[in-house]
Amino acid sequence: MDDFKMRFYVNFIKDDRYMYLVKGLQNTLIITFFSALLGILLGFLVAIIRSTYEKTGKCKILNAVCKVYLTVIRGTPMMVQLLIMCYVVFGSYNLNKIVVAFLAFGFNSGAYVAEIVRSGIMSIDPGQMEAGRSLGFSYGKTMWYIILPQAFKNILPALANEFIVLLKETSVCGYIGLMDLTRGGDIIRSRTYEAFLPLIAVALIYLVIVMILTNLVGRLERRLRTSER
Amino acid sequence: MNDRGDVLFKVEGLCKSFGSNLVLDHISTEIKSGEVVVIVGPSGSGKSTFLRSLNLLEMPTGGQILFEGQNITDKKTDIDAYRQKIGMVFQHFNLFPHKTILENLTLAPIKLLKKSKVEADKEAMELLKRVGLEEKASAYPSQLSGGQKQRIAIVRSLAMHPEVMLFDEPTSALDPEMVGEVLNVMTDLAKDGMTMVIVTHEMGFAKEVGTRVLFIDEGQIKEENTPKEFFENPQNPRLKEFLSKIL
Repeated sequence: MDDFKMRFYVNFIKDDRYMYLVKGLQNTLIITFFSALLGILLGFLVAIIRSTYEKTGKCKILNAVCKVYLTVIRGTPMMVQLLIMCYVVFGSYNLNKIVVAFLAFGFNSGAYVAEIVRSGIMSIDPGQMEAGRSLGFSYGKTMWYIILPQAFKNILPALANEFIVLLKETSVCGYIGLMDLTRGGDIIRSRTYEAFLPLIAVALIYLVIVMILTNLVGRLERRLRTSER
Repeated sequence: MNDRGDVLFKVEGLCKSFGSNLVLDHISTEIKSGEVVVIVGPSGSGKSTFLRSLNLLEMPTGGQILFEGQNITDKKTDIDAYRQKIGMVFQHFNLFPHKTILENLTLAPIKLLKKSKVEADKEAMELLKRVGLEEKASAYPSQLSGGQKQRIAIVRSLAMHPEVMLFDEPTSALDPEMVGEVLNVMTDLAKDGMTMVIVTHEMGFAKEVGTRVLFIDEGQIKEENTPKEFFENPQNPRLKEFLSKIL
């Protein structure tokens, strides 16, 4: 027991080593949060363009651009995209690493969100669009007031899953020299030559965040389901 | 508003084809204000397509439709503004499942006619009272029976104060015991002088309420007449065959 106390002290308390985890967690959360926002924005945009093209044949060029985007992002590893974003796209700029990571993860997430949202839009009965249009709503207004709210409800579990994946994927940030939660734990390991405690601590923190997220989404889902008793 | 007897729709040589399949074959007719036009015909005859092209849910591939003298098939027509004047009731109701009944009725008046919520709510409650469903105002569509849903769908359209109501087989998806309640609402509407175009298989309703009956087959109007003549003295051999099967 004393041995454990000693190890705990060396790994977390001594030299304020817990700050590696606190700082790292802060960066992880910032990157995840803003990437998720960018992902949602891009995802909805791409999904609306794609499903508009599929339903009406309009937006041909935009649809082609979206398809290239989806193919490239989904066809290459996240880590490679992050490295390219850091050393090729912004290689000659001295941009904050957190911004680089936010852009890389946001663009990546957008591609996956787009396909989730598109499946949601396509799952809504075409009669809903017809009902909206025949009341006099434009295509865009029908989308906004009638189709998207229903689609959002259907895709919420898949969307939540995407953001859980996103949170965990940010753990590769260390490769561009950014201290996220994972890198923070790893730094402690390299200082104390002890792997068990810092890495388990990192894993537990991820686990707790994911559990909180799952719980929040579950509540939101129940609230949105009130119309289906 | 239009006086009774004014021509609302003037359909000239209307054609619609899906690929090489010609569904509407040069249909021409007029629909006057106050008329209750019932369209009957075998399935696949193009009757629903004809009705749906009246509010441009199907875009005609030939001919034109004039509404109050204005060519609505013209590319420059503001389709959304036009559709506000045309009520549409679907076979499968198409209520908005994520909105309460009251919200279903008030969404379009608030967003499109820019009515205040108070005003729209008040009007919606009056409409709900008219079909005997005011106690369902805060319910969701999934909590209603088919007949109730269709009555809501009708008043949802009425909330926009349309000049014409189109009905696409409004009772075909209902259990038999619920058909009556929907037809009653439609009958009341007709008595109030609403111009109605109805695709239906309810021949009793066509006889009682219709002012004119159209028989569409193979994309053409094969016969049109007053209900009495139409049912008692059919001329077209296809119509005779059709009536003998269903009556």
